[in-house]
Amino acid sequence: MKAINNLCLMGMNGVLADTPLKEGVNEIIVPENTLFEAKILHIFSDISLKILLVGDRSKCDVKIVYLCNKNNNYNINIEVIHEHKNTLSNHQIKGVLTDNAKMVLNGVIRMPKDSQKCEGFLNHRGVLLSENASVKVTPELEIFADDVKCSHGSAIGALDENQLFYLLARGIDKITAQKILLKAYLSDLLPDVWDEYIDDWMAKNVSTHV
Amino acid sequence: MALLEIKNLCARVGEKEILKNFSLTINEGEIHAIMGPNGSGKSTLSNVIAGHPAYEVTSGEIYFKGLNVLEMTPDERANSGIFLAFQYPTELPGVGTALFLKTAMNAKLKFLGKPELDAVTFMKKLKVRANALGITDEMLKRPVNVGFSGGEKKKMETFQMAFLEPDFCILDEMDSGLDIDALRVVSTGVNVMREPKRSFLIITHYQRLLDYIEPDYVHIMVDGRIVESGDKNLALKLEEKGYESYK
Repeated sequence: MKAINNLCLMGMNGVLADTPLKEGVNEIIVPENTLFEAKILHIFSDISLKILLVGDRSKCDVKIVYLCNKNNNYNINIEVIHEHKNTLSNHQIKGVLTDNAKMVLNGVIRMPKDSQKCEGFLNHRGVLLSENASVKVTPELEIFADDVKCSHGSAIGALDENQLFYLLARGIDKITAQKILLKAYLSDLLPDVWDEYIDDWMAKNVSTHV
Repeated sequence: MALLEIKNLCARVGEKEILKNFSLTINEGEIHAIMGPNGSGKSTLSNVIAGHPAYEVTSGEIYFKGLNVLEMTPDERANSGIFLAFQYPTELPGVGTALFLKTAMNAKLKFLGKPELDAVTFMKKLKVRANALGITDEMLKRPVNVGFSGGEKKKMETFQMAFLEPDFCILDEMDSGLDIDALRVVSTGVNVMREPKRSFLIITHYQRLLDYIEPDYVHIMVDGRIVESGDKNLALKLEEKGYESYK
């Protein structure tokens, strides 16, 4: 089975380090001209990333998909510090919650005084399949430099009723229709290797009660 | 033989009563047009027949092929042969058009107890229907309705209808947002589908569409019910006098 929770540092001449996500804080130092890529499918545990962009053109690209069910209560903590000027961070987090699941997402982007020309983005979207599921998102931007680009956004809601109806009106049953929409919604963050996990999770957790 | 029977139907959205004792019978092979001013309940009618959850039926009955439609889920209605061509087709980002149609077709075949289409037969059937309506391969590769112009969306609805071969087609303001060329393509697409067993319900504001698709009956709908029925000449009369006299 291929590792799906993958943290990878890539330099100009290829992969520098490739490690699985561990429990507790994963501290990653990204030197100059290096890209840190995180592809995380979050099902079983908390995630904590602390990313330090320390050199010219250090970049990080974090993609997280979370799927939460039952009474599970998880945290995702991301802290990125643009310690050097000219660094870039991009975080995309998408997830689905059902039953009584709860997710807390804390995302912090720090840009100290000398981090000019830095760019930092954090985007989250969560789909709730049950009324008792919830997501709490605390995005935080801490900016002391004056020539930077930075944004964060979060949207949480049920599946779109009109999209669902469009599929039903073409004869597709409700469970399949929900799966199609959920998969479409996750697909841009979804490397092929995650497909079977997502399919398996949806087979167990998507039902007509929505 | 009656294909669709609507008896004393009352329906509402939220607290607002929209359909008020609406009755209509459509026999096999007939084309009925419903015309009416804005807010008369035309789109509510089409959504209620298709089973949109935002509309609540408070009383009345709908039978399709003798089956109680109000007891069926929207997908059961579709698979039984009811097709709604949407006034505003919904965009489905990330859902490929070809895969969407394959899922819909196989759902219908499964419902009818027939074997699913294999990939080759499916693609062949898809291409034939697509070519007839000017649907390009590129459009089939795009997500459903995403980035389509108003005209392309209506062509896509007509294409889906031709592909799924329903017995009863509701065209909800098919002509809105269409230029004259697109209107011609779409109405030709509808006309080639005319068959002795297939019926159509055309909902429109304007007589213009009925120049292209000739109805057997025209009904005027005002304030949630039919106030006058006639043949195609009623539409011409309406074009002349407007809806004012019915209010």
